[in-house]
Amino acid sequence: MLSSTSGHDSLESAGAAGPVLRFENVHLAFDGLAVLRGVSFIARRGETKVLLGEAASGKTLLLKLALGLQRPDSGAVWVLGQPVSDLPESRLFALRRHIGMVFQESALFDSLSVRENVAYRLREEHELTEDTIEQRVRRALSFVELEEAIDKMPGELSGGMKRRVAIARALSSEPEVMLYDSPTGGLDPITSTTIMELIIKLRDENNVTSLLVTHRLQDAYLLATHVWDTQNRRLRAAAPERSHTSFLLLREGKVWFDGDGHQLMNSGDDYVKTFME
Amino acid sequence: MTPEAEFNLGGVVKEQLLELQEFTLLLWRGFRNIFQRPFYFDDTLRQMDVIGVGSLPIVILTGFFTGAVMALQLSATLAAYGQVERTGELVAISLVRELGPVLASLMVAGRNASGMASELGSMVVTEQIDAMRALGTDPIKKLVTPRLVATLIMNFFLAIIADIFGVIGGWIYAVLGIGLDSRQFWSSAFYALDFRDLVQGLTKPVVFGIIVAAVGCYFGLRARGGTEGVGRATTQAVVAASLLIIMSDFVISRVLITFIGQLH
Ligand SMILES: Nc1ncnc2c1ncn2[C@@H]1O[C@H](COP(=O)(O)OP(=O)(O)O)[C@@H](O)[C@H]1O
Ligand SMILES: [Mg+2]
Repeated sequence: MLSSTSGHDSLESAGAAGPVLRFENVHLAFDGLAVLRGVSFIARRGETKVLLGEAASGKTLLLKLALGLQRPDSGAVWVLGQPVSDLPESRLFALRRHIGMVFQESALFDSLSVRENVAYRLREEHELTEDTIEQRVRRALSFVELEEAIDKMPGELSGGMKRRVAIARALSSEPEVMLYDSPTGGLDPITSTTIMELIIKLRDENNVTSLLVTHRLQDAYLLATHVWDTQNRRLRAAAPERSHTSFLLLREGKVWFDGDGHQLMNSGDDYVKTFME
Repeated sequence: MTPEAEFNLGGVVKEQLLELQEFTLLLWRGFRNIFQRPFYFDDTLRQMDVIGVGSLPIVILTGFFTGAVMALQLSATLAAYGQVERTGELVAISLVRELGPVLASLMVAGRNASGMASELGSMVVTEQIDAMRALGTDPIKKLVTPRLVATLIMNFFLAIIADIFGVIGGWIYAVLGIGLDSRQFWSSAFYALDFRDLVQGLTKPVVFGIIVAAVGCYFGLRARGGTEGVGRATTQAVVAASLLIIMSDFVISRVLITFIGQLH
Protein backbone atom coordinates (compact mmCIF):
# COMPACT_ATOMS: atom_id res chain seq x y z
CA MET A 1 0.00 0.00 0.00
CA LEU A 2 0.97 3.56 -0.54
CA SER A 3 1.56 6.00 2.24
CA SER A 4 -1.45 8.10 3.05
CA THR A 5 0.22 11.33 2.00
CA SER A 6 0.59 10.31 -1.65
CA GLY A 7 -3.09 10.99 -2.23
CA HIS A 8 -2.42 14.70 -2.01
CA ASP A 9 0.43 14.81 -4.50
CA SER A 10 0.22 17.27 -7.33
CA LEU A 11 -1.27 16.01 -10.61
CA GLU A 12 2.06 16.16 -12.40
CA SER A 13 3.47 13.36 -10.31
CA ALA A 14 0.32 11.28 -10.37
CA GLY A 15 2.09 8.46 -12.23
CA ALA A 16 3.34 5.45 -10.36
CA ALA A 17 3.26 7.12 -6.97
CA GLY A 18 -0.09 8.94 -7.03
CA PRO A 19 -3.57 7.47 -6.87
CA VAL A 20 -4.45 5.13 -9.71
CA LEU A 21 -7.84 6.73 -10.19
CA ARG A 22 -8.71 10.34 -9.54
CA PHE A 23 -11.95 12.22 -10.17
CA GLU A 24 -11.76 16.00 -9.74
CA ASN A 25 -14.94 17.99 -9.48
CA VAL A 26 -16.63 16.11 -12.30
CA HIS A 27 -19.86 17.57 -13.67
CA LEU A 28 -22.06 15.88 -16.25
CA ALA A 29 -25.57 16.71 -17.45
CA PHE A 30 -27.84 15.15 -20.09
CA ASP A 31 -30.41 17.31 -21.84
CA GLY A 32 -29.99 19.98 -19.20
CA LEU A 33 -30.48 17.50 -16.35
CA ALA A 34 -27.45 17.42 -14.05
CA VAL A 35 -26.51 13.85 -13.11
CA LEU A 36 -23.07 14.49 -11.61
CA ARG A 37 -22.61 17.78 -9.80
CA GLY A 38 -19.01 17.93 -8.65
CA VAL A 39 -17.77 14.43 -7.89
CA SER A 40 -14.25 14.07 -6.48
CA PHE A 41 -12.52 10.99 -5.10
CA ILE A 42 -9.40 8.90 -5.48
CA ALA A 43 -8.56 5.21 -5.46
CA ARG A 44 -5.07 4.00 -4.61
CA ARG A 45 -3.21 1.06 -6.09
CA GLY A 46 -4.72 -2.23 -4.97
CA GLU A 47 -7.78 -0.55 -3.53
CA THR A 48 -11.35 -1.51 -4.30
CA LYS A 49 -13.80 1.35 -4.18
CA VAL A 50 -17.40 0.24 -3.83
CA LEU A 51 -19.84 2.66 -5.47
CA LEU A 52 -23.22 2.84 -3.81
CA GLY A 53 -26.22 4.94 -4.69
CA GLU A 54 -29.84 4.82 -5.73
CA ALA A 55 -30.83 3.82 -9.25
CA ALA A 56 -29.89 6.49 -11.81
CA SER A 57 -27.55 8.24 -9.37
CA GLY A 58 -24.72 8.00 -11.90
CA LYS A 59 -22.75 4.94 -10.76
CA THR A 60 -22.44 3.47 -14.23
CA LEU A 61 -21.49 6.89 -15.53
CA LEU A 62 -18.53 7.02 -13.16
CA LEU A 63 -17.22 3.78 -14.64
CA LYS A 64 -17.73 5.04 -18.19
CA LEU A 65 -15.96 8.28 -17.33
CA ALA A 66 -13.01 6.28 -15.98
CA LEU A 67 -12.80 4.45 -19.32
CA GLY A 68 -13.22 7.60 -21.35
CA LEU A 69 -16.45 6.25 -22.88
CA GLN A 70 -18.09 9.42 -21.59
CA ARG A 71 -16.52 12.81 -21.19
CA PRO A 72 -17.32 15.17 -18.32
CA ASP A 73 -18.82 18.60 -19.01
CA SER A 74 -16.24 19.98 -16.62
CA GLY A 75 -13.73 18.60 -14.14
CA ALA A 76 -11.12 15.96 -14.82
CA VAL A 77 -10.65 12.21 -14.65
CA TRP A 78 -7.18 10.74 -14.22
CA VAL A 79 -6.39 7.06 -14.59
CA LEU A 80 -2.85 5.68 -14.20
CA GLY A 81 -1.51 9.20 -14.44
CA GLN A 82 -3.27 9.91 -17.74
CA PRO A 83 -5.89 12.65 -18.17
CA VAL A 84 -8.63 10.38 -19.54
CA SER A 85 -11.09 13.24 -19.86
CA ASP A 86 -8.77 15.16 -22.19
CA LEU A 87 -7.17 12.43 -24.29
CA PRO A 88 -8.23 12.03 -27.93
CA GLU A 89 -9.97 8.71 -28.70
CA SER A 90 -6.86 7.38 -30.44
CA ARG A 91 -4.76 7.74 -27.27
CA LEU A 92 -7.58 6.32 -25.17
CA PHE A 93 -7.46 3.03 -27.09
CA ALA A 94 -3.91 2.48 -25.84
CA LEU A 95 -4.79 3.40 -22.26
CA ARG A 96 -7.84 1.11 -22.19
CA ARG A 97 -5.48 -1.82 -22.54
CA HIS A 98 -4.75 -1.29 -18.85
CA ILE A 99 -8.39 -1.00 -17.81
CA GLY A 100 -10.82 -3.91 -17.82
CA MET A 101 -14.55 -3.40 -17.62
CA VAL A 102 -17.28 -5.86 -16.73
CA PHE A 103 -20.57 -4.44 -17.98
CA GLN A 104 -23.86 -4.76 -16.15
CA GLU A 105 -25.46 -7.37 -18.38
CA SER A 106 -22.03 -8.75 -19.36
CA ALA A 107 -22.27 -7.22 -22.87
CA LEU A 108 -20.73 -10.28 -24.52
CA PHE A 109 -20.69 -10.16 -28.31
CA ASP A 110 -23.68 -12.33 -29.26
CA SER A 111 -22.25 -13.43 -32.57
CA LEU A 112 -18.89 -14.59 -31.20
CA SER A 113 -18.03 -17.75 -29.26
CA VAL A 114 -16.66 -17.58 -25.72
CA ARG A 115 -13.16 -18.08 -27.14
CA GLU A 116 -13.56 -15.20 -29.59
CA ASN A 117 -15.11 -12.96 -26.96
CA VAL A 118 -12.16 -13.45 -24.64
CA ALA A 119 -9.66 -13.23 -27.51
CA TYR A 120 -11.31 -10.10 -28.89
CA ARG A 121 -8.82 -7.52 -27.69
CA LEU A 122 -5.82 -9.72 -28.36
CA ARG A 123 -6.92 -10.19 -31.97
CA GLU A 124 -7.62 -6.50 -32.41
CA GLU A 125 -4.05 -5.74 -31.43
CA HIS A 126 -2.68 -7.86 -34.30
CA GLU A 127 0.53 -8.52 -32.42
CA LEU A 128 0.23 -12.00 -30.99
CA THR A 129 0.47 -15.40 -32.66
CA GLU A 130 -2.50 -17.77 -32.66
CA ASP A 131 -0.77 -19.98 -30.10
CA THR A 132 -0.16 -17.14 -27.69
CA ILE A 133 -3.74 -15.94 -28.05
CA GLU A 134 -5.08 -19.43 -27.35
CA GLN A 135 -2.84 -19.70 -24.28
CA ARG A 136 -3.94 -16.33 -22.94
CA VAL A 137 -7.61 -17.12 -23.55
CA ARG A 138 -7.29 -20.42 -21.71
CA ARG A 139 -5.45 -18.78 -18.84
CA ALA A 140 -8.17 -16.12 -18.47
CA LEU A 141 -10.91 -18.74 -18.67
CA SER A 142 -9.22 -21.00 -16.15
CA PHE A 143 -8.95 -18.05 -13.77
CA VAL A 144 -12.75 -17.80 -13.83
CA GLU A 145 -12.98 -21.62 -13.86
CA LEU A 146 -14.84 -21.83 -17.12
CA GLU A 147 -12.40 -23.44 -19.51
CA GLU A 148 -14.93 -26.07 -20.54
CA ALA A 149 -17.23 -23.40 -22.02
CA ILE A 150 -14.62 -22.16 -24.50
CA ASP A 151 -16.53 -23.29 -27.60
CA LYS A 152 -19.98 -22.23 -26.41
CA MET A 153 -21.92 -19.24 -27.72
CA PRO A 154 -23.09 -16.56 -25.22
CA GLY A 155 -26.71 -17.57 -25.81
CA GLU A 156 -25.98 -21.00 -24.33
CA LEU A 157 -24.60 -19.63 -21.05
CA SER A 158 -26.35 -18.93 -17.75
CA GLY A 159 -26.22 -15.43 -16.27
CA GLY A 160 -23.43 -16.37 -13.88
CA MET A 161 -21.36 -17.99 -16.63
CA LYS A 162 -21.81 -14.91 -18.81
CA ARG A 163 -20.56 -12.73 -16.00
CA ARG A 164 -17.50 -14.95 -15.59
CA VAL A 165 -16.76 -14.85 -19.32
CA ALA A 166 -17.09 -11.05 -19.15
CA ILE A 167 -14.51 -11.02 -16.35
CA ALA A 168 -12.22 -13.27 -18.38
CA ARG A 169 -12.61 -10.99 -21.40
CA ALA A 170 -11.76 -7.95 -19.31
CA LEU A 171 -8.71 -9.77 -17.93
CA SER A 172 -7.33 -10.81 -21.32
CA SER A 173 -4.94 -7.86 -21.43
CA GLU A 174 -4.00 -8.26 -17.76
CA PRO A 175 -5.22 -4.81 -16.74
CA GLU A 176 -4.12 -2.93 -13.64
CA VAL A 177 -7.55 -1.39 -13.17
CA MET A 178 -10.90 -3.18 -13.21
CA LEU A 179 -14.35 -1.62 -13.38
CA TYR A 180 -17.27 -3.80 -12.36
CA ASP A 181 -20.86 -2.68 -13.01
CA SER A 182 -23.18 -4.65 -10.70
CA PRO A 183 -21.25 -7.89 -11.25
CA THR A 184 -23.70 -9.89 -9.13
CA GLY A 185 -26.89 -8.22 -10.36
CA GLY A 186 -29.60 -10.76 -11.17
CA LEU A 187 -27.60 -13.73 -9.88
CA ASP A 188 -28.52 -16.19 -7.13
CA PRO A 189 -26.61 -15.88 -3.80
CA ILE A 190 -24.29 -18.82 -4.41
CA THR A 191 -23.28 -17.69 -7.89
CA SER A 192 -22.88 -14.15 -6.53
CA THR A 193 -20.42 -15.38 -3.94
CA THR A 194 -18.42 -17.17 -6.63
CA ILE A 195 -18.18 -13.93 -8.59
CA MET A 196 -17.22 -11.91 -5.51
CA GLU A 197 -14.56 -14.50 -4.70
CA LEU A 198 -12.99 -13.90 -8.13
CA ILE A 199 -13.05 -10.16 -7.56
CA ILE A 200 -11.41 -10.47 -4.15
CA LYS A 201 -8.82 -12.86 -5.59
CA LEU A 202 -7.94 -10.27 -8.25
CA ARG A 203 -7.73 -7.56 -5.63
CA ASP A 204 -5.46 -9.46 -3.27
CA GLU A 205 -3.45 -11.69 -5.57
CA ASN A 206 -2.93 -9.35 -8.52
CA ASN A 207 -3.13 -6.04 -6.65
CA VAL A 208 -5.74 -4.79 -9.13
CA THR A 209 -7.28 -1.39 -8.42
CA SER A 210 -11.02 -1.33 -8.97
CA LEU A 211 -14.30 0.49 -8.90
CA LEU A 212 -17.25 -1.76 -8.17
CA VAL A 213 -20.91 -0.85 -8.40
CA THR A 214 -23.23 -2.99 -6.34
CA HIS A 215 -26.76 -3.04 -4.98
CA ARG A 216 -26.10 -5.97 -2.68
CA LEU A 217 -24.90 -5.13 0.81
CA GLN A 218 -23.67 -8.72 1.16
CA ASP A 219 -21.15 -8.01 -1.63
CA ALA A 220 -19.92 -4.88 0.10
CA TYR A 221 -19.69 -6.73 3.39
CA LEU A 222 -17.77 -9.64 1.86
CA LEU A 223 -15.32 -7.26 0.19
CA ALA A 224 -14.72 -5.36 3.41
CA THR A 225 -14.34 -8.35 5.73
CA HIS A 226 -12.59 -11.01 3.66
CA VAL A 227 -9.27 -11.45 1.94
CA TRP A 228 -8.01 -14.09 -0.47
CA ASP A 229 -5.93 -16.75 1.19
CA THR A 230 -3.33 -17.59 -1.43
CA GLN A 231 -2.09 -20.69 0.36
CA ASN A 232 -5.45 -22.35 0.91
CA ARG A 233 -7.03 -20.94 -2.28
CA ARG A 234 -10.14 -19.64 -0.57
CA LEU A 235 -11.58 -16.60 1.21
CA ARG A 236 -10.59 -15.92 4.77
CA ALA A 237 -12.14 -13.48 7.24
CA ALA A 238 -9.94 -10.48 7.98
CA ALA A 239 -10.13 -7.12 9.69
CA PRO A 240 -11.61 -4.37 7.46
CA GLU A 241 -8.34 -2.42 7.40
CA ARG A 242 -6.65 -5.38 5.70
CA SER A 243 -9.21 -5.65 2.94
CA HIS A 244 -8.18 -2.53 0.97
CA THR A 245 -11.81 -1.69 0.40
CA SER A 246 -13.53 1.64 0.75
CA PHE A 247 -16.99 2.94 0.02
CA LEU A 248 -18.42 5.86 -1.84
CA LEU A 249 -22.08 6.80 -1.65
CA LEU A 250 -23.51 9.04 -4.36
CA ARG A 251 -26.48 11.24 -3.65
CA GLU A 252 -28.00 13.90 -5.89
CA GLY A 253 -24.91 14.08 -8.03
CA LYS A 254 -22.46 14.48 -5.19
CA VAL A 255 -20.32 12.29 -2.98
CA TRP A 256 -22.39 11.91 0.16
CA PHE A 257 -20.02 9.56 1.92
CA ASP A 258 -16.46 8.40 1.21
CA GLY A 259 -14.64 6.20 3.70
CA ASP A 260 -13.71 2.70 4.83
CA GLY A 261 -15.91 -0.09 6.16
CA HIS A 262 -15.58 0.97 9.79
CA GLN A 263 -16.64 4.53 9.04
CA LEU A 264 -19.52 3.31 6.90
CA MET A 265 -20.92 0.97 9.53
CA ASN A 266 -20.48 3.48 12.35
CA SER A 267 -21.74 6.48 10.44
CA GLY A 268 -24.30 8.57 12.28
CA ASP A 269 -25.67 10.04 9.07
CA ASP A 270 -29.34 9.29 8.49
CA TYR A 271 -29.09 8.82 4.73
CA VAL A 272 -26.14 6.45 5.09
CA LYS A 273 -28.09 4.53 7.73
CA THR A 274 -31.22 4.18 5.60
CA PHE A 275 -29.00 3.09 2.77
CA MET A 276 -27.38 0.39 4.86
CA GLU A 277 -30.69 -1.19 5.82
CA MET B 1 -46.79 33.78 -32.05
CA THR B 2 -46.05 33.68 -28.36
CA PRO B 3 -42.43 33.96 -27.28
CA GLU B 4 -42.63 30.42 -25.97
CA ALA B 5 -43.78 29.01 -29.28
CA GLU B 6 -41.02 30.90 -31.03
CA PHE B 7 -38.49 29.49 -28.64
CA ASN B 8 -39.72 25.96 -29.28
CA LEU B 9 -39.61 26.39 -33.02
CA GLY B 10 -36.02 27.56 -32.72
CA GLY B 11 -35.30 24.54 -30.57
CA VAL B 12 -36.78 22.15 -33.09
CA VAL B 13 -34.84 23.67 -35.97
CA LYS B 14 -31.67 23.57 -33.92
CA GLU B 15 -32.29 19.94 -33.05
CA GLN B 16 -32.82 19.00 -36.69
CA LEU B 17 -29.64 20.79 -37.70
CA LEU B 18 -27.72 19.02 -34.95
CA GLU B 19 -29.05 15.69 -36.16
CA LEU B 20 -28.07 16.49 -39.71
CA GLN B 21 -24.62 17.42 -38.46
CA GLU B 22 -24.30 14.17 -36.54
CA PHE B 23 -25.49 12.18 -39.54
CA THR B 24 -22.98 13.89 -41.81
CA LEU B 25 -20.23 13.31 -39.29
CA LEU B 26 -21.05 9.60 -39.13
CA LEU B 27 -21.01 9.40 -42.92
CA TRP B 28 -17.67 11.21 -43.07
CA ARG B 29 -16.08 9.04 -40.42
CA GLY B 30 -17.49 5.91 -42.05
CA PHE B 31 -15.88 6.80 -45.37
CA ARG B 32 -12.62 8.12 -43.99
CA ASN B 33 -12.04 4.73 -42.37
CA ILE B 34 -12.03 2.97 -45.74
CA PHE B 35 -8.48 4.19 -46.17
CA GLN B 36 -7.26 3.68 -42.61
CA ARG B 37 -5.97 0.58 -40.88
CA PRO B 38 -7.14 -1.81 -39.60
CA PHE B 39 -9.35 -3.03 -42.45
CA TYR B 40 -12.18 -5.32 -41.55
CA PHE B 41 -12.36 -7.36 -44.75
CA ASP B 42 -14.11 -10.30 -43.12
CA ASP B 43 -16.85 -8.09 -41.73
CA THR B 44 -17.28 -6.42 -45.12
CA LEU B 45 -17.55 -9.77 -46.90
CA ARG B 46 -20.08 -11.01 -44.36
CA GLN B 47 -22.16 -7.86 -44.88
CA MET B 48 -21.95 -8.27 -48.66
CA ASP B 49 -23.32 -11.75 -48.22
CA VAL B 50 -26.13 -10.61 -45.91
CA ILE B 51 -27.09 -7.66 -48.09
CA GLY B 52 -26.39 -8.98 -51.58
CA VAL B 53 -27.24 -12.65 -51.47
CA GLY B 54 -29.96 -12.15 -48.89
CA SER B 55 -31.75 -9.49 -50.95
CA LEU B 56 -31.40 -11.29 -54.28
CA PRO B 57 -34.75 -13.14 -54.32
CA ILE B 58 -36.86 -10.12 -53.41
CA VAL B 59 -35.02 -7.89 -55.87
CA ILE B 60 -35.49 -10.42 -58.67
CA LEU B 61 -39.21 -10.72 -57.93
CA THR B 62 -39.61 -6.96 -57.64
CA GLY B 63 -37.84 -6.37 -60.95
CA PHE B 64 -39.68 -9.12 -62.77
CA PHE B 65 -43.19 -8.06 -61.81
CA THR B 66 -42.45 -4.37 -62.22
CA GLY B 67 -41.28 -5.03 -65.78
CA ALA B 68 -44.34 -7.15 -66.46
CA VAL B 69 -46.79 -4.57 -65.17
CA MET B 70 -45.01 -1.81 -67.08
CA ALA B 71 -45.44 -3.81 -70.29
CA LEU B 72 -49.08 -4.38 -69.42
CA GLN B 73 -49.86 -0.72 -68.74
CA LEU B 74 -47.63 0.94 -71.35
CA SER B 75 -48.71 -1.34 -74.18
CA ALA B 76 -52.33 -0.32 -73.64
CA THR B 77 -51.43 3.38 -73.89
CA LEU B 78 -49.07 2.82 -76.82
CA ALA B 79 -51.73 0.81 -78.66
CA ALA B 80 -53.94 3.90 -78.61
CA TYR B 81 -51.26 5.67 -80.67
CA GLY B 82 -50.58 2.63 -82.81
CA GLN B 83 -47.08 2.27 -81.41
CA VAL B 84 -47.36 -0.91 -79.40
CA GLU B 85 -44.07 -2.17 -80.88
CA ARG B 86 -42.24 0.45 -78.80
CA THR B 87 -43.21 -1.32 -75.59
CA GLY B 88 -39.73 -2.79 -75.15
CA GLU B 89 -38.14 0.62 -75.49
CA LEU B 90 -40.30 2.26 -72.84
CA VAL B 91 -40.06 -0.64 -70.43
CA ALA B 92 -36.26 -0.65 -70.70
CA ILE B 93 -35.86 3.10 -70.31
CA SER B 94 -38.15 3.45 -67.32
CA LEU B 95 -36.56 0.47 -65.63
CA VAL B 96 -32.95 1.48 -66.13
CA ARG B 97 -33.41 5.15 -65.30
CA GLU B 98 -35.86 4.92 -62.45
CA LEU B 99 -37.68 1.82 -61.42
CA GLY B 100 -34.81 -0.65 -61.25
CA PRO B 101 -32.60 1.45 -58.96
CA VAL B 102 -35.43 2.97 -56.91
CA LEU B 103 -37.46 -0.16 -56.29
CA ALA B 104 -34.45 -2.39 -55.68
CA SER B 105 -33.11 0.17 -53.21
CA LEU B 106 -36.46 0.49 -51.46
CA MET B 107 -36.45 -3.28 -51.04
CA VAL B 108 -32.90 -3.21 -49.72
CA ALA B 109 -33.89 -0.35 -47.40
CA GLY B 110 -36.84 -2.31 -46.05
CA ARG B 111 -34.69 -5.31 -45.44
CA ASN B 112 -31.27 -3.94 -44.55
CA ALA B 113 -31.71 -0.42 -43.16
CA SER B 114 -34.05 -2.02 -40.63
CA GLY B 115 -31.69 -4.94 -40.12
CA MET B 116 -28.75 -2.65 -39.44
CA ALA B 117 -30.74 -0.36 -37.15
CA SER B 118 -32.01 -3.27 -35.07
CA GLU B 119 -28.65 -5.03 -34.96
CA LEU B 120 -26.64 -1.96 -33.98
CA GLY B 121 -29.48 -0.71 -31.78
CA SER B 122 -29.52 -3.86 -29.70
CA MET B 123 -25.74 -3.68 -29.47
CA VAL B 124 -26.11 -0.16 -28.08
CA VAL B 125 -28.73 -0.98 -25.47
CA THR B 126 -26.89 -4.12 -24.30
CA GLU B 127 -23.67 -2.06 -24.04
CA GLN B 128 -21.89 -4.16 -26.66
CA ILE B 129 -20.83 -0.98 -28.45
CA ASP B 130 -19.35 0.37 -25.22
CA ALA B 131 -17.67 -3.00 -24.69
CA MET B 132 -16.20 -2.78 -28.16
CA ARG B 133 -14.73 0.64 -27.42
CA ALA B 134 -13.52 -0.58 -24.04
CA LEU B 135 -11.69 -3.41 -25.84
CA GLY B 136 -9.93 -1.04 -28.18
CA THR B 137 -12.10 -1.10 -31.31
CA ASP B 138 -13.58 1.90 -33.07
CA PRO B 139 -17.20 0.80 -33.63
CA ILE B 140 -17.54 3.09 -36.64
CA LYS B 141 -14.66 1.32 -38.31
CA LYS B 142 -15.75 -2.15 -37.29
CA LEU B 143 -19.51 -1.79 -37.85
CA VAL B 144 -20.35 1.24 -39.99
CA THR B 145 -17.61 1.22 -42.63
CA PRO B 146 -18.11 -2.44 -43.64
CA ARG B 147 -21.85 -1.85 -43.95
CA LEU B 148 -21.36 1.28 -46.05
CA VAL B 149 -18.92 -0.39 -48.42
CA ALA B 150 -20.93 -3.60 -48.67
CA THR B 151 -24.26 -1.87 -49.32
CA LEU B 152 -22.77 0.53 -51.84
CA ILE B 153 -21.27 -2.31 -53.88
CA MET B 154 -24.14 -4.77 -53.57
CA ASN B 155 -26.85 -2.22 -54.27
CA PHE B 156 -25.12 -1.37 -57.54
CA PHE B 157 -25.35 -4.98 -58.69
CA LEU B 158 -28.81 -5.53 -57.27
CA ALA B 159 -30.13 -2.59 -59.29
CA ILE B 160 -28.63 -4.08 -62.47
CA ILE B 161 -30.23 -7.41 -61.63
CA ALA B 162 -33.57 -5.68 -61.06
CA ASP B 163 -33.19 -4.02 -64.48
CA ILE B 164 -32.41 -7.31 -66.20
CA PHE B 165 -35.24 -9.24 -64.61
CA GLY B 166 -37.56 -6.30 -65.21
CA VAL B 167 -36.90 -6.39 -68.94
CA ILE B 168 -37.35 -10.16 -68.89
CA GLY B 169 -40.70 -9.71 -67.11
CA GLY B 170 -41.73 -7.12 -69.66
CA TRP B 171 -40.63 -9.36 -72.51
CA ILE B 172 -42.57 -12.37 -71.24
CA TYR B 173 -45.72 -10.30 -70.88
CA ALA B 174 -45.18 -8.65 -74.26
CA VAL B 175 -44.83 -11.99 -76.01
CA LEU B 176 -47.44 -14.00 -74.14
CA GLY B 177 -49.92 -11.27 -73.22
CA ILE B 178 -49.77 -8.88 -76.15
CA GLY B 179 -48.38 -11.19 -78.83
CA LEU B 180 -45.42 -8.98 -79.73
CA ASP B 181 -42.50 -10.41 -81.65
CA SER B 182 -39.72 -11.51 -79.31
CA ARG B 183 -36.85 -10.22 -81.43
CA GLN B 184 -38.54 -6.88 -81.98
CA PHE B 185 -39.03 -6.42 -78.24
CA TRP B 186 -35.38 -7.02 -77.46
CA SER B 187 -33.97 -4.86 -80.23
CA SER B 188 -36.29 -1.99 -79.36
CA ALA B 189 -35.31 -2.33 -75.70
CA PHE B 190 -31.62 -2.57 -76.49
CA TYR B 191 -31.35 0.28 -78.98
CA ALA B 192 -33.40 2.63 -76.84
CA LEU B 193 -30.78 2.66 -74.10
CA ASP B 194 -28.22 5.39 -74.32
CA PHE B 195 -25.06 5.75 -72.22
CA ARG B 196 -26.71 8.68 -70.43
CA ASP B 197 -29.45 6.34 -69.22
CA LEU B 198 -26.80 3.99 -67.96
CA VAL B 199 -25.02 6.81 -66.12
CA GLN B 200 -28.26 7.65 -64.35
CA GLY B 201 -29.13 4.04 -63.75
CA LEU B 202 -25.75 3.21 -62.28
CA THR B 203 -25.14 6.37 -60.23
CA LYS B 204 -28.42 6.12 -58.38
CA PRO B 205 -27.99 2.71 -56.77
CA VAL B 206 -24.58 3.74 -55.44
CA VAL B 207 -26.01 6.84 -53.76
CA PHE B 208 -29.07 4.92 -52.55
CA GLY B 209 -26.82 2.20 -51.12
CA ILE B 210 -24.94 4.82 -49.12
CA ILE B 211 -28.26 6.21 -47.88
CA VAL B 212 -29.51 2.79 -46.76
CA ALA B 213 -26.37 1.92 -44.80
CA ALA B 214 -25.78 5.36 -43.32
CA VAL B 215 -29.38 5.79 -42.20
CA GLY B 216 -29.60 2.24 -40.83
CA CYS B 217 -26.39 2.65 -38.83
CA TYR B 218 -27.27 6.17 -37.69
CA PHE B 219 -30.64 5.21 -36.21
CA GLY B 220 -29.18 2.03 -34.75
CA LEU B 221 -26.31 3.81 -33.02
CA ARG B 222 -28.53 6.41 -31.43
CA ALA B 223 -31.10 3.94 -30.13
CA ARG B 224 -31.86 4.46 -26.44
CA GLY B 225 -34.11 2.81 -23.92
CA GLY B 226 -34.16 -0.97 -24.23
CA THR B 227 -35.93 -3.13 -26.78
CA GLU B 228 -38.64 -0.51 -27.25
CA GLY B 229 -36.03 2.01 -28.35
CA VAL B 230 -34.57 -0.51 -30.76
CA GLY B 231 -37.98 -1.13 -32.31
CA ARG B 232 -38.49 2.60 -32.73
CA ALA B 233 -35.06 3.03 -34.32
CA THR B 234 -35.82 0.21 -36.76
CA THR B 235 -39.05 1.76 -37.99
CA GLN B 236 -37.56 5.22 -38.21
CA ALA B 237 -34.62 3.90 -40.22
CA VAL B 238 -36.84 2.31 -42.88
CA VAL B 239 -39.06 5.38 -43.18
CA ALA B 240 -36.15 7.81 -43.32
CA ALA B 241 -34.12 5.71 -45.77
CA SER B 242 -37.11 5.22 -48.12
CA LEU B 243 -37.99 8.90 -48.08
CA LEU B 244 -34.40 9.94 -48.67
CA ILE B 245 -34.13 7.52 -51.60
CA ILE B 246 -37.23 8.90 -53.28
CA MET B 247 -36.29 12.53 -52.66
CA SER B 248 -32.69 12.13 -53.72
CA ASP B 249 -33.84 10.29 -56.84
CA PHE B 250 -35.41 13.51 -58.05
CA VAL B 251 -32.32 15.53 -57.20
CA ILE B 252 -29.91 13.11 -58.88
CA SER B 253 -32.09 12.91 -62.02
CA ARG B 254 -32.31 16.68 -62.22
CA VAL B 255 -28.57 17.19 -61.73
CA LEU B 256 -27.51 14.48 -64.17
CA ILE B 257 -29.90 15.65 -66.86
CA THR B 258 -28.55 19.16 -66.45
CA PHE B 259 -24.95 18.05 -66.78
CA ILE B 260 -25.02 15.19 -69.24
CA GLY B 261 -28.45 15.55 -70.81
CA GLN B 262 -30.89 12.86 -71.84
CA LEU B 263 -31.84 11.43 -75.24
CA HIS B 264 -35.63 11.19 -74.92
N1 LIG C 1 -25.81 8.44 -22.74
C1 LIG C 1 -26.77 8.97 -21.96
N2 LIG C 1 -27.68 9.83 -22.48
C2 LIG C 1 -28.64 10.38 -21.71
N3 LIG C 1 -28.78 10.14 -20.40
C3 LIG C 1 -27.92 9.30 -19.81
C4 LIG C 1 -26.87 8.66 -20.56
N4 LIG C 1 -26.16 7.89 -19.72
C5 LIG C 1 -26.74 8.03 -18.50
N5 LIG C 1 -27.80 8.86 -18.55
C6 LIG C 1 -28.64 9.24 -17.43
O1 LIG C 1 -27.83 9.51 -16.32
C7 LIG C 1 -28.42 9.00 -15.13
C8 LIG C 1 -27.46 8.11 -14.40
O2 LIG C 1 -27.24 6.96 -15.15
P1 LIG C 1 -26.41 5.72 -14.60
O3 LIG C 1 -25.01 6.11 -14.35
O4 LIG C 1 -26.60 4.64 -15.60
O5 LIG C 1 -27.15 5.37 -13.25
P2 LIG C 1 -26.89 4.16 -12.25
O6 LIG C 1 -26.45 4.80 -10.98
O7 LIG C 1 -28.21 3.49 -12.07
O8 LIG C 1 -25.87 3.27 -12.86
C9 LIG C 1 -29.70 8.30 -15.55
O9 LIG C 1 -30.79 9.15 -15.27
C10 LIG C 1 -29.54 8.09 -17.02
O10 LIG C 1 -30.78 8.17 -17.66
MG1 LIG D 1 -26.11 1.41 -13.68
